[in-house]
Amino acid sequence: MNIFLYLDHGTWVHRLDPRTKIISTLILFILCLCFNHPLYMAGVSLGILGIAVSARALPNFWRLRFVLILLVAFSSLMWPFFTQGPTPLWAWGPFRVSRESLLYGLAMGLRLASFVAAGLILLSTTRNEELTNGLLRMGIPYPVAFAFSTSLRLIPTFAGAGATIVEAQVCRGLDLESGGIFSRIGKFLPQAVPLFFYAIRHTNLLAMALEARGFSPEAKRTLYYEPRMRAVDYGVIGLLSIILVAVLYARLGMHLGTVFPGRL
Amino acid sequence: MSQAISIEDLTFTYRGGDFPALQNICSQVAESSFVVLMGHGGAGKSTLCSALNGLVPKFFRGQYQGRVLVRGQEVAHHKVSEMAGIIGMVFQDFEDQLFSTNVELEMAFGPENLRISRLEIERRVQHYLSFVGLEKLRRREPATLSGGQKQRLAIGSVLAMEPEILVMDEPTTDLDPRGRQEVLSAADRLREKKRTLLIVDHDPETAANADRVWLMRSGRMVAEGRPDKILVDGPTLHSCGVGVPPLVDLFCTMDWPGRPLTVEEAIALLQKHQRARRREYKPGQFVPADSRRPFILQADGLGYIYPRHRSEALRRIDLGIREGEFLALLGQNGSGKTTLAKHFNGLLQPTYGQMLLRGRPTRGYPHRELARLVGYVFQNPDHQIFCNTVYEEVAFGLKMLGEDAKKIEQRVSESLEVVGLEGYEQKVPFALTKGERQRVAVASVLAIQPQVLVLDEPTTGLDDRQQLAMMEMLKHLHERGHTIIIITHCMEVAEKYAERTVVMKDGGILLDGPTRAVFAEEERLATASLRPTSLLRLSNWLGTKALTVGQMVQELQVNHGS
Repeated sequence: MNIFLYLDHGTWVHRLDPRTKIISTLILFILCLCFNHPLYMAGVSLGILGIAVSARALPNFWRLRFVLILLVAFSSLMWPFFTQGPTPLWAWGPFRVSRESLLYGLAMGLRLASFVAAGLILLSTTRNEELTNGLLRMGIPYPVAFAFSTSLRLIPTFAGAGATIVEAQVCRGLDLESGGIFSRIGKFLPQAVPLFFYAIRHTNLLAMALEARGFSPEAKRTLYYEPRMRAVDYGVIGLLSIILVAVLYARLGMHLGTVFPGRL
Repeated sequence: MSQAISIEDLTFTYRGGDFPALQNICSQVAESSFVVLMGHGGAGKSTLCSALNGLVPKFFRGQYQGRVLVRGQEVAHHKVSEMAGIIGMVFQDFEDQLFSTNVELEMAFGPENLRISRLEIERRVQHYLSFVGLEKLRRREPATLSGGQKQRLAIGSVLAMEPEILVMDEPTTDLDPRGRQEVLSAADRLREKKRTLLIVDHDPETAANADRVWLMRSGRMVAEGRPDKILVDGPTLHSCGVGVPPLVDLFCTMDWPGRPLTVEEAIALLQKHQRARRREYKPGQFVPADSRRPFILQADGLGYIYPRHRSEALRRIDLGIREGEFLALLGQNGSGKTTLAKHFNGLLQPTYGQMLLRGRPTRGYPHRELARLVGYVFQNPDHQIFCNTVYEEVAFGLKMLGEDAKKIEQRVSESLEVVGLEGYEQKVPFALTKGERQRVAVASVLAIQPQVLVLDEPTTGLDDRQQLAMMEMLKHLHERGHTIIIITHCMEVAEKYAERTVVMKDGGILLDGPTRAVFAEEERLATASLRPTSLLRLSNWLGTKALTVGQMVQELQVNHGS
């Protein structure tokens, strides 16, 4: 079972310095926050999709398609009920939906999906170790950087163990096919016990194995994949910064791209 | 010769432990020598290994007396990470020590910590990858490697730190015979480089190559010496839960001169003293499994393709298993054994072809019904144990199937009796030893009284004594009419217990027949990375039908008489 998000290709995005990718992802996050008009937001989303295509990260989008679709659908459906605009479209008792709130909901859906997409590109193109090395070179203390990358690393391991555990119980007659959603969740809960023990045992052994190979969280170490900033890295950060400034000007200076000017 | 390791009157009790895990150990390992450490489960072998690089007492706390010197440095006064440059350790649970996202980085991890220059790391990664034979897999994610490859990676990643002393705790438990050979030949090459080696292993053939053998029992060092002295001492070996090498056993019982540890030695001895002659093995009267019994499981042109990697794990399998058979499923790591076994109870559904259970496709059965008919014991008992008491654990399946309280009580006590755990009802399963946990896992499946019992590697990690207890229990169940299917890497287990052996290779069936006949095909077995035990190879050379020492003695005596 492979649940790692990293895709081993050699695209230009893969070759970027991890620092560039971390900074770029942060800029993309801010870009996502700039507009609340769905058309403008769609522009940002398309840009991110374009990067994903050239980074060959689409297989991961496909794997997480349900999450992405759910985010867009859910937020497009829910937001209209919580915001009120001047052009009413439909009303039923206390529920009102306006044209503006509908558009706003759509924009929020795109925004959430774009957030996830930007993060997904980072994880699809950057190895765990590169991410750690990048964080280190950005001045993050080693224990923090290491804790961050370890937790990312352990998720798939535990998910794999969880799958085996459920299989073992199905073999003993655990019935996960019938019953409503709540009774099914109820049947899943006891499986957390062996998973919990596994997690404790695994992390304990891992800590020993790491130390037995000379690892110590405070000490300096050689970085085998030494991150190096090249011209293209500065180019990417420069370009994204220009886009960010332009977009901020469009929003704040020209008041473009909003359905509700007062909202984020 | 100077000492690489010197253990001086070491006694250690784990915090909360009632008795010492190590007691008054006094031993030395000479520079560039090779030591094999043997003993029963819980004898303190792993604890002793941990004491060499400081995990005892730095990680495992407890009462620590005595000294351990590694190249003149007192271990207890250093951090584990400081010892790492001198003494490398490959853990028993090698899967847990793989951490990086690709093979190359895994190799580089240790040297990175030692702050070796990048250029030098590059050289070492290159060098040791080819040393352990993984250079083609540099970019692979460790979790996607086969068991044998993982184990070699774990060894390589420690070698890349170029420690002068290498400790390996049961480095070959999950390997097929070829994988074992690869690991052990890597060990041989290290000896040529004058490294010091200490290996924990159960196999007498490994120990036969060592300079010295250490034998432990209940925390004490019982005997040390050259392999040809230690390995022929039946009673002492037995008392330490270590099996007497079958060839030694045979030569002893037959009263033949010499105590050989390998087949080559044995043959040379036989030829020298002209005690027995080479004969062609002729498969005797072929006795097919009782063909009146109905088929319980039938694979019919079955194939399986893993949806994610789109690789064909099983191709066109035709296999019929009759009620009441005892069958061993062999094959190298990644040959499709487990994938096939998971079809037996519907955990997997064939991509093409079908799997019939009592003549009906498994697809047509509800899960509960399958659980009643086919029990499946997973390789790692800890993946299925989750209750607070042994009783609840064993009763879980019955409750799931909706049995009434009285029946549950009766079945639980029955199955605990079968696995020899009467009186354990109120114990906490997690606090039991590995062998006992494995039996709880078997009992919990047994309680459902499935007609077919599938066990994935039932003997891994068990010492000789526990292994015997487990297999005798299965034999007993078989006699009571259950169909037993075991997946195993252990040739000895298959030889001794299975009536029928199926060998898999690359997702297909290579050999299928009565166990003795299958093990006569040494060359074809070799193509599947398998090799019969030394006893069976001798049996092939002598042309006997025997599968065990007892049978061979009987047969040879009859031949002699006639």
